[in-house]
Amino acid sequence: MAHIAQPLGSREESWRRILGAGFALAVLATFLNIANPGRVPAIQNFILVFSSLLIEAMPFILLGALVSAFIEVFVPGRVFDRLGALSPRLQLPASALAGFAFPVCECGSVPVARRLAQKGLAPGAAVTFMLAAPILNPVVIISTVIAYRGRDIFWPMVLGRTGLGLVAALAVGWVVSSKTKGELLRPRADADEHQHEKTRPGSFFSHLSGDFIFMARYLVLGATVAAAMQTFVPQDVIASVADTPFLSLIAMMALAFVLSLCSESDAFVAASFVQFGVGSQLAFLVFGPLVDTKLAFLYTGTFTKGFFRTVVLVVGAVTFAGTLWIEVLLG
Amino acid sequence: MSRRSLSPKKLGVVLVLGAWCGLYLFLLATDRTSLYLSSRTEWLVPVGGVILLIAVVGQLFFSDSSGAPKLTTKDSLGLVLVAVPVVVVLALPPASLTSFAANRRSSFASAAFVPSIEDISSGELDLADVAGAIRSDEVMAALRARAGAEVDFTGFVARRPGMPADEFLLTRFLISCCVADALTVQVRVVDAPPGAFKQDQWVRVSGSLYPLENEIVVQAAGVTKVPRPDHPYLNA
Repeated sequence: MAHIAQPLGSREESWRRILGAGFALAVLATFLNIANPGRVPAIQNFILVFSSLLIEAMPFILLGALVSAFIEVFVPGRVFDRLGALSPRLQLPASALAGFAFPVCECGSVPVARRLAQKGLAPGAAVTFMLAAPILNPVVIISTVIAYRGRDIFWPMVLGRTGLGLVAALAVGWVVSSKTKGELLRPRADADEHQHEKTRPGSFFSHLSGDFIFMARYLVLGATVAAAMQTFVPQDVIASVADTPFLSLIAMMALAFVLSLCSESDAFVAASFVQFGVGSQLAFLVFGPLVDTKLAFLYTGTFTKGFFRTVVLVVGAVTFAGTLWIEVLLG
Repeated sequence: MSRRSLSPKKLGVVLVLGAWCGLYLFLLATDRTSLYLSSRTEWLVPVGGVILLIAVVGQLFFSDSSGAPKLTTKDSLGLVLVAVPVVVVLALPPASLTSFAANRRSSFASAAFVPSIEDISSGELDLADVAGAIRSDEVMAALRARAGAEVDFTGFVARRPGMPADEFLLTRFLISCCVADALTVQVRVVDAPPGAFKQDQWVRVSGSLYPLENEIVVQAAGVTKVPRPDHPYLNA
């Protein structure tokens, strides 16, 4: 087996960093165990929300990394050459509809979209898939049905969420469709690390681990901010604008951004906002799965500068216009 | 199988994957999953644990990291960041949401769960069924027909400023996926022993149920302290 030699000093430095990281974690564990900051109610609330967001989301990141590694290693490049040769007009809607068949929440679709774009799918189509999957997949539709069953706004909520989600995903895909993958994907420092793997299983596990660790970092940062906002931002402020037209839609989009709920559970929370009208509840359900605090970090880590701003503007505009129309129609 | 070298970077990745795998197995072994996830998402814990275990084994036995570059400071910070949540969960004693969270959420988030009228009309009343009735006029009407029914509820004590000394809000949280989406479920308990129960104390209340206009009151016949249940959250 050929070894690529590393300077001895560099290897020793690496070992020292491993030891340093282990020592830092041991110090943290000791401090937490002795000081038990969870005795302070706000800190305990923060820790519980932070931990539960991650315990729930990490397996989805893992599943996304699994699919991503499978695509990289086992799906022949010619498949993507063929798909890439299709007209973008066909690729965008086909990618959106593919979201129906991928029942994971938003965290899992990001690594898959990145891999699809890397392998040759039109970047706009990969982005459309990424945004459509968490809102159009069957599990999300069923949870919305269960949350609103028996309500007089049942059909507007179920159809409105699916329809506006589809339009928003297509709109973002269309806006970024002129970009090449080099312009859209942020380069990764470890991009070439997996190339030396000599076997397919080796390459698969190397990609799986690499994608998981890469995405998990951003997820941890996002969960930290989301938990802090849930703990320290007073939610009464948002409830106070429930009766204010326009503002209530924006407030619910802001709340969805702050709470960073999984798209498979957010309908249950939205259904409890009885002070808000149909448009506002819908704004929460369309905007949240596409743009939230943890996704902000995942998007920023995965895509180039400006992508997150594009998603916020386009999804925000589609959500606002669509939900306002529904509010006027039914409100 | 050829010899697999263990570079610092590979070891770091394996340790972090192993730490998360260990966390999921720990949650399974200690039955602590219910402190973080609802019954409909608890499958994620064994699935996450198994995939991580496969990833660790695969990384150790199939992946060849002999050509991997050195572990940079940025790499090691990234690995520490991903491992921090594992340390936080394992190092701190088990806990559940308290009245602090109820106060933050109670202003507009109440249970979206609506129980069936059949359950309310004839079945045994539980806290989720009763509190959910507040959101449905039909279910509330069915509940009013059972005014005075004997109930037995478990929850924790939450008190608002200015509440009479013999009253408190018996509180539970209802979760759909994880603690982040928790919704507050509360009933007002009256005729409790004044000053006997501190904020966040878990209690079992037996008494008679009276649905009022916008809230549900339980006239306590007995209130006893109980330990926090193994499954502190109600599931939607």
